[in-house]
Amino acid sequence: MSGTTLYQKRRHTGARRGVEPLYYLFLVPTLLVFTAFVVVPALIGIFYSLTDYVRFGDWSFLGLSNYAALFSDPRILESYGFTLGFAVVTVVVAQVIALALAVALSRRIRFATTLRTVFVIPMVVSGIVVAYVFNFLFSNSLPAIATAVGFGPLEESILGNPDLAWLSIVIVSAWQTIPGALLVYTAGLTSIPTDLYEASALDGASPWRQFRSITVPLVAGFILINTILGVKGYLGVYDVIVGLTGGGPGTATSSVAMTIFGGFTGGDYAYQMANATVFLVVTALISVAQIVATRGRAVQL
Amino acid sequence: MEFDHGRCSVSPGSSRSVSVSRRSFLAGSAALVALGVTGCASASQASGGGVALRFYEQKQEVIAYFDELLRRFEKSRPGITVVHDSTVAIAPQFVRNEPADVGCFNDNLELARYIKRGVLGDLSDLPSARTVRTDIGELTDQYATYPGRTSVLPYSLAAAGVIYNKKIFAKHQLPVPETWSQFVDVCDELTKAGITPVYATDRDTWTLWQGLFDYSVGSLVAPGEFFHRMKELGADVGPDSEVSFEKDFAVPMERAKTISSYFNKDHAVRAYADGNLAFGKGEAAMYLQGPWALSQIALVDPGLEIGTFPLPVSENPDERQARVNIDLGLWIPTASRRQDEARELVEFLMQPEIINAYNNDNLAYSTLTDAPAQEDERLAGLQDYVDRAAFYQGAGTFVPTSIPLGNYLQSAIRSGNFEGMLRQLDADWRRLAGRGATV
Repeated sequence: MSGTTLYQKRRHTGARRGVEPLYYLFLVPTLLVFTAFVVVPALIGIFYSLTDYVRFGDWSFLGLSNYAALFSDPRILESYGFTLGFAVVTVVVAQVIALALAVALSRRIRFATTLRTVFVIPMVVSGIVVAYVFNFLFSNSLPAIATAVGFGPLEESILGNPDLAWLSIVIVSAWQTIPGALLVYTAGLTSIPTDLYEASALDGASPWRQFRSITVPLVAGFILINTILGVKGYLGVYDVIVGLTGGGPGTATSSVAMTIFGGFTGGDYAYQMANATVFLVVTALISVAQIVATRGRAVQL
Repeated sequence: MEFDHGRCSVSPGSSRSVSVSRRSFLAGSAALVALGVTGCASASQASGGGVALRFYEQKQEVIAYFDELLRRFEKSRPGITVVHDSTVAIAPQFVRNEPADVGCFNDNLELARYIKRGVLGDLSDLPSARTVRTDIGELTDQYATYPGRTSVLPYSLAAAGVIYNKKIFAKHQLPVPETWSQFVDVCDELTKAGITPVYATDRDTWTLWQGLFDYSVGSLVAPGEFFHRMKELGADVGPDSEVSFEKDFAVPMERAKTISSYFNKDHAVRAYADGNLAFGKGEAAMYLQGPWALSQIALVDPGLEIGTFPLPVSENPDERQARVNIDLGLWIPTASRRQDEARELVEFLMQPEIINAYNNDNLAYSTLTDAPAQEDERLAGLQDYVDRAAFYQGAGTFVPTSIPLGNYLQSAIRSGNFEGMLRQLDADWRRLAGRGATV
């Protein structure tokens, strides 16, 4: 919560100087909207997770039995395992590639502006569309190419292989989110004063040394924000999976969001509400943990 | 899965008083009907104005068809206008407590929730209710009943079997198989000739349970009875219980495993649309799909000669049965404020010339006694089974969607471990039954 504490400090010092009451007035609409559309629905949902409500008709109070069932349901636990593992792998892959691209594009290479525009295109295409396009590539093109060159492992589509299907989701999710991260890193890199590089070059620092000792520490804050936003996004992965594997083969790629959504159509409303509540807590905990773990570095900025 | 443990300790405040008035309203309208005034405008509405009914029907292929029927109804019954509600999701209108006045929906576990919770009114006193074949009417009771009510009037029965390419069968002089071993022989012959015997589309998991699973089970284990006992056992289902997936479905799943060995090579990554295209192009001899696929296949090749036969899974030809489902059923929610007019509309739609024509035009079977035969040649192979009531509702339709049966089948086909899948189904069934929050 380094960001918050920083703000709080500022607010405290500001309060002593006397803040315009008008600023608090500005907060009111946001607070009202937030309460009406986020807090209240969440509380209602949490309440129904303690019942057997199916969204109409009678219902009765069940206490915590939905939660008890949840923690003994192997399918639910698997979906958490898959989602967390997927988020970690994807965030690493996406950030490494995005940072590398951003560094390359910040150099005075030919067509840098054009390339930057091209690289951003995936961001504006809807996830489900991207997923369906890649679905075609994975099911038809890739096996065809593999067969042509005689590369055995890929002759069968990876979408039909329970051990490899998750890779397709990592690839497409990363492909889709790299541009966003790339933009943030580009902004970060342009904020680094060029004299730092010039001075280090005079001292005889190699480009790799410059990258390690100047670039990485100075974009650390951007890495943090990208990682937090990335993990948060990947935890809610849904449309890409629907377009690629539909949660299969078997249940190998069922994410938490997918199992929760299944409850709306399958008469499992209250049970999946309990799942959603747990997921909310897990997501919040992960975000807090991320910020706490990287606090030192962020504050140094 | 059953929902009769101590319940209703709390009840949402507002709906109780409302439901009482609704019930008395229903009783009143039922009395009216009992007096024999069905089909006549009741005095209160006769003064003019005009009543607007909402008719819910969302089956894509027949929306235009029903639109026309509704216009005919409006003509024959001045003073009533009908709005056609074709929203895809059924739940929201019940959640808002504003259901349509007449519904026309697939009779499945989803509709069963509404039946069970008593939000659909009794139609047993309608004159047309007596014209429905009892063996078809009983099908809806297999999913759910509400004491003392006929909540749904079956309107359209869809029958499904193995769709086969007549040309390929004729070319290789293959007979329509009547026993399991004949079926295997046919598949072997086709493989030898270099033809894909069965086209499967694993990527759309519903196609797996709808075809492979349901057909393999249906003629060996009566699903209605099996799931009735499974529900009674609930959390006690296990390897030693009286019935279980592991025990009762062992032989059917052996069949399924064998059939899956005759699938197209790339079945794991093919989707429903791919299947229709491939079968339409004559790339496979058989296809485990229902009549809904026929119109899609016709788009590829309108002239393709197609037939349908029920999958034989035993050595006794007399045991063959067709898979059926009540594709459309009519119901009137108790919350409808226009019970009389809603009943008029139901009676209108249930007239023999209308219901029979609808089913004949849409590759389905009328639910009335003495209904004429389905004339489409592609379905001719199933007519006899429908007439004799030699049919079952697919086992997969009894499995709640919280159990991802299609996904389990997907991995079982891949690994060949169908026994493991059945144990998994038993475990899921137990867990679901113990949970109480699912219907």
